Amino acid sequence: MMTGRHTMEQHRHTVEGTDPGLFVEVHEPATDAGLRPVLLIHGFSSSTKLNWVDSGWITTLQDAGRRVITVDLPGHGRSHSPEDLDSYTPSRIRADLLQIVTDAGARPLRDGDPSTGLDVIGYSLGSRLAWEFGATQPDLVHRIVLGGPSSADPLAAFDLVAAQRHLADGTPIEDASTAGLLKMAQMLPSNNLFAMLSLIEAIKGEPFDPAEAAPHMPLLLVAGEKDERASTMPELASIAGKRGGMVETLVIPGRTHTNVITSRAFKEAAVEFLGV
Amino acid sequence: MAEISFPLPDLGEGLIEATVLDWLVEPGQQVERNQPIVELETTKSALELPSPQAGKVVRIHGAPGDTINVGEPLIVFEVPDDTAGIVGTVPKDEAPKRRVRLSAVLDED
Repeated sequence: MMTGRHTMEQHRHTVEGTDPGLFVEVHEPATDAGLRPVLLIHGFSSSTKLNWVDSGWITTLQDAGRRVITVDLPGHGRSHSPEDLDSYTPSRIRADLLQIVTDAGARPLRDGDPSTGLDVIGYSLGSRLAWEFGATQPDLVHRIVLGGPSSADPLAAFDLVAAQRHLADGTPIEDASTAGLLKMAQMLPSNNLFAMLSLIEAIKGEPFDPAEAAPHMPLLLVAGEKDERASTMPELASIAGKRGGMVETLVIPGRTHTNVITSRAFKEAAVEFLGV
Repeated sequence: MAEISFPLPDLGEGLIEATVLDWLVEPGQQVERNQPIVELETTKSALELPSPQAGKVVRIHGAPGDTINVGEPLIVFEVPDDTAGIVGTVPKDEAPKRRVRLSAVLDED
């Protein structure tokens, strides 16, 4: 169903320490619009396939003439599940993403050259990573679209001890958010449960603090009307707005945190927002 | 003209049903093969289903919010008679493109 060529690779270019074996694909459009590449960052316990391919995002972006870079997060999709905790820390993931987009041809922004820089679309946990990536890479990132974003960090609040006890002997998990996230992590046989828990543990060591470093480039925040996790979206918009960045928000009627991803309105808004 | 009905396909991962989020096509509309036709939600994710067939949409089953079981009718297409009966497109009977020139080999004798 790809309309253009695409290349895939197990990412081999290590930033530091062990090779996390991240699975990277570059999806070329049939007709290139001449704009900078778009990096897609999927959510927790999802994958490039589930979050971006099956939902129709890759073809939508390719049809808009965009070159798309996808990467499976460590322990997700076709990426490896490293044993060292360091490979799962948000800061290490951001460093790996920077190396990946550089290897895929993204170049620092240059005034008047629309092929330079990088656009980023993140979803859920991917939105958190995109927010931080934009905040730390102002010379590279042009615009960001955040789907299902939250100023809180449900993964950092995850009760790891209760989850491990539940997995060992079935003791019920009291915290509803923890129980829900664990169920999500167990649902996909393609995702390694040990790696999901390692990711959570690493995130607990580096919880999301949107005010600590906020992106200054234009942002589009999108959430379903029924997305409880994204009820804090206005807070994110306010933090970025105070830093002087242009912020747009879009609420999709009737949609939840899970099913906003296929929304036409979401895709069309993203393509338009990034098409400058 | 003939009608071809397509059921909700096996979505893998042991899924037995899906909920319709939104139809992207409507009866009377001409669609291409692989064009997204419907947004569905399963217990694991939301996805777009590509059209298994080129043709005119006759009927769609399930309004937004309705649950459809794998194997139950999802969409019906109207197609020319000569393409009915098989899933997918059928190669047309076209004149062979390769021309073979028959030339007599003259007996030198």
